Amino acid sequence: MLGYIIKRLIQMLIVLWAVSIIVFLMMSFTGDPVFMVVPIDATDAEIEQARRILGLDRSLPEQYLIFVQNMLQGDFGRSYVFREPALDLILERLPATLELVLVAMAMSALVAIPLGVYAGANPGRFSSRSIMSGSLLGISLPSFWVGMMLIFLFAVKWRIFPSSGRGDTEAFLGVQWSILTADGWSHVILPSLTLSLATMAMLLRITRAGMMEVTRQDYMKFARAKGVSRRGVLYGHGLRNALIPVVTIFGIQLGDLIAFATITETIFAWPGLGKLLIDSIYRADRPVIVVYLMLVAVIFVVINLIVDIVYTLIDPRITVK
Amino acid sequence: MSTVNTALRALAASVCLAALTVGAASAEKSLTIGLTSDATHMDPQAGEELSSNIMFYHIYDPLVRRTPDLTFEPGLAESWELIDDTTWHFKLRDGVKFHDGDELKASDVVYTLNRLKESLMVNLAANIESFKAIDDHTVEIKTPAPYAALPNDLAAILILSEDHVNKVGNDGLEQNPMGTGPYKLVDWVREDKVELEAFDDYYMGEAEIENVTFRPITNPATRTAALLTGEVDIVQDLAVRDVERVKGEDGFEVVTRPSLLNLVLALDMRENSPTIDGENPMTDRRVREAMARAIDVTALQRAIMGGLSTPSEQYVPSSHVGFVDGVNFREIYPYDLEKAKELMAEAGVNGFTLTLDATNNRYVNDAQIAQALAGMLAKIGVNVELNVMPKSNFWGYIRVPTEKSSFIMSGWDVPSGDAGSMYGALFYSRDKREGYGQVNRGSYSNTEVDALIDKADSTAKVEERDALLQEATKILMREIPMIPVHYEQDIYGARDGVEFTPRTDKFLWAYDMDVAQ
Repeated sequence: MLGYIIKRLIQMLIVLWAVSIIVFLMMSFTGDPVFMVVPIDATDAEIEQARRILGLDRSLPEQYLIFVQNMLQGDFGRSYVFREPALDLILERLPATLELVLVAMAMSALVAIPLGVYAGANPGRFSSRSIMSGSLLGISLPSFWVGMMLIFLFAVKWRIFPSSGRGDTEAFLGVQWSILTADGWSHVILPSLTLSLATMAMLLRITRAGMMEVTRQDYMKFARAKGVSRRGVLYGHGLRNALIPVVTIFGIQLGDLIAFATITETIFAWPGLGKLLIDSIYRADRPVIVVYLMLVAVIFVVINLIVDIVYTLIDPRITVK
Repeated sequence: MSTVNTALRALAASVCLAALTVGAASAEKSLTIGLTSDATHMDPQAGEELSSNIMFYHIYDPLVRRTPDLTFEPGLAESWELIDDTTWHFKLRDGVKFHDGDELKASDVVYTLNRLKESLMVNLAANIESFKAIDDHTVEIKTPAPYAALPNDLAAILILSEDHVNKVGNDGLEQNPMGTGPYKLVDWVREDKVELEAFDDYYMGEAEIENVTFRPITNPATRTAALLTGEVDIVQDLAVRDVERVKGEDGFEVVTRPSLLNLVLALDMRENSPTIDGENPMTDRRVREAMARAIDVTALQRAIMGGLSTPSEQYVPSSHVGFVDGVNFREIYPYDLEKAKELMAEAGVNGFTLTLDATNNRYVNDAQIAQALAGMLAKIGVNVELNVMPKSNFWGYIRVPTEKSSFIMSGWDVPSGDAGSMYGALFYSRDKREGYGQVNRGSYSNTEVDALIDKADSTAKVEERDALLQEATKILMREIPMIPVHYEQDIYGARDGVEFTPRTDKFLWAYDMDVAQ
């Protein structure tokens, strides 16, 4: 197990290195960041001064070398726009995104798994079929539309939830969290719901497919004959065997939402990571984009690692090598 | 029994106390403003864009204050005088306090200017050669040449406290900004809110509104929703499509005002232009006039801007030094296709093809305007190919010496209220004088215009400067090196009971506002 984890971490380093090179090359095509920080009528001398201050007066390979050198010393570079360490900018926004995504993932799992089990165990029923059609909607509706509709209905029309922002926060472990206050919760519900719909639908469909597969197995009938309750069979024997693909998708979605909740965050003015990414791309703020995407790579690798370990817990026959 | 009693009494007392504090808090006026984006800086020398500027002017003060209508009046400097052609003395007010209680001194101004010279915003001090403190309340500033617009320039330079910056460090200023301004920073949560609190000892008197919160809400529809739900009291840049909705709602109003941003089309004047085959027909004034006449700005206003634009009369608005009263580009060259075709024929030009470079995320409906322009110019045989790109690529792409562009759509605004800086940058011959012609994207060159700008920039008297720049305006209107199109309209939504008049420079300033109780 330990060997396996170390191997995965080494793989991660290679991925990080590749990401940094790709982003560095890519960013050289997206415009010269210096023109984003100087005024339009800046003279050549002023532009030179700005280049010097930002460290853009060197060649691209040189800039990359400096970047790598600094990174090995724990310095991930400074944003051209904010003139602050890029890593700080990202970490500052990470909690907001994390809590949004965690609430969204919890919502999806709590709704999708029971409904999926139900629909898989009772495929013929009308209610099952309604659930399945509903899940199609969840997959196909674009999140910006869902977000706007939720704001229109719940905030403007019925005044149940506020339209945007993060609301009151409270400190825990030195970080501000909305989910620790009632006002914060009222702010978190709509964006989380928007974010959760697609994942919810996907998890539901996969749970159902898995359940339909396992309910036909002999051990299900046997357990039932042995006198285990229907509920116990479905969740104890059935779901456990149908869970592997569900966990896989859950992991992928978790990483995806943390990294790219951009649209939902923009619509709900949620001060998270996604908005930082899109703003940084518009401003050609390379240091932020590089560190951001490297962090995303780390998140994905770590989540996949955890998913692999969870496999072994769900199904003891699986071992990681 | 007695313990219960005591507990009850304590409870009752604390309830009363709570009621009292709530009462006191509600007596303090507060205001929440929805902005399009968060500030990027609190250090006024680290960069500038509208949201940061709005914060700067709450926290800091300039020596010279710009009024909402773009006139200039004493700020931290109570008066100034011209000692000789290039030497100015600015007399600071007595007893101006920084938020930490320190008094403003001339040394703070000197420190600010020194720091500015080494910063990214060095262009703000382009016309300042040297400076020193004469005594605690007098600062001497020398310009490289006689320069009448120095006070206007100073309105953009915000004064820092030397002591404070030394204490928090250069980078610390971003998190701990402190100046002499009407508001103090309470809390800044990136992308979530900026909370300000009135500064009791403000030199012009304490602000009416005690607590001001700015919230960045990027998505226009969400901004409207936040206004309608009462989460914010004022929103900046109300979306054009929401104007009718907000007007129709009880308890809200829409406030508009022409902005300073003039959308202009730069025409290449070189013999050979990068995107035109053969000789460049636009070197002929008649072709330029034909193009100006083929553009129907009222159609743009109606069909693309939803009525929310103001066709440009000249290159600068009427409030500016250098504006010529009674001269209107739209009256000199009204939309007239027949006349335009005649002019093309007279010039012996049988149509030509060129590329228009434009942005798609910088100005209101910029990409649609570019498309419409292509359609309009096609009618006189000018075949426009579009090259539309995001702003992060645009500024580098079109940069002088404009080796790739023949025809460029961009905006220009002059918040200093003076045409001089614009003319110097946009119309002065290239490579002739340091700091001039650096944005002359069409390579326009006219020795007469150069001479007028030189003279305007070497007089210390505003009336003379105005007369010289007006002469330049007249020549430019005749020669058409650029076609001015329109000014965007600034649109705000506000709830009733908020007293607020938009400023020409778009800087929402809570000190000028009030709310009904």
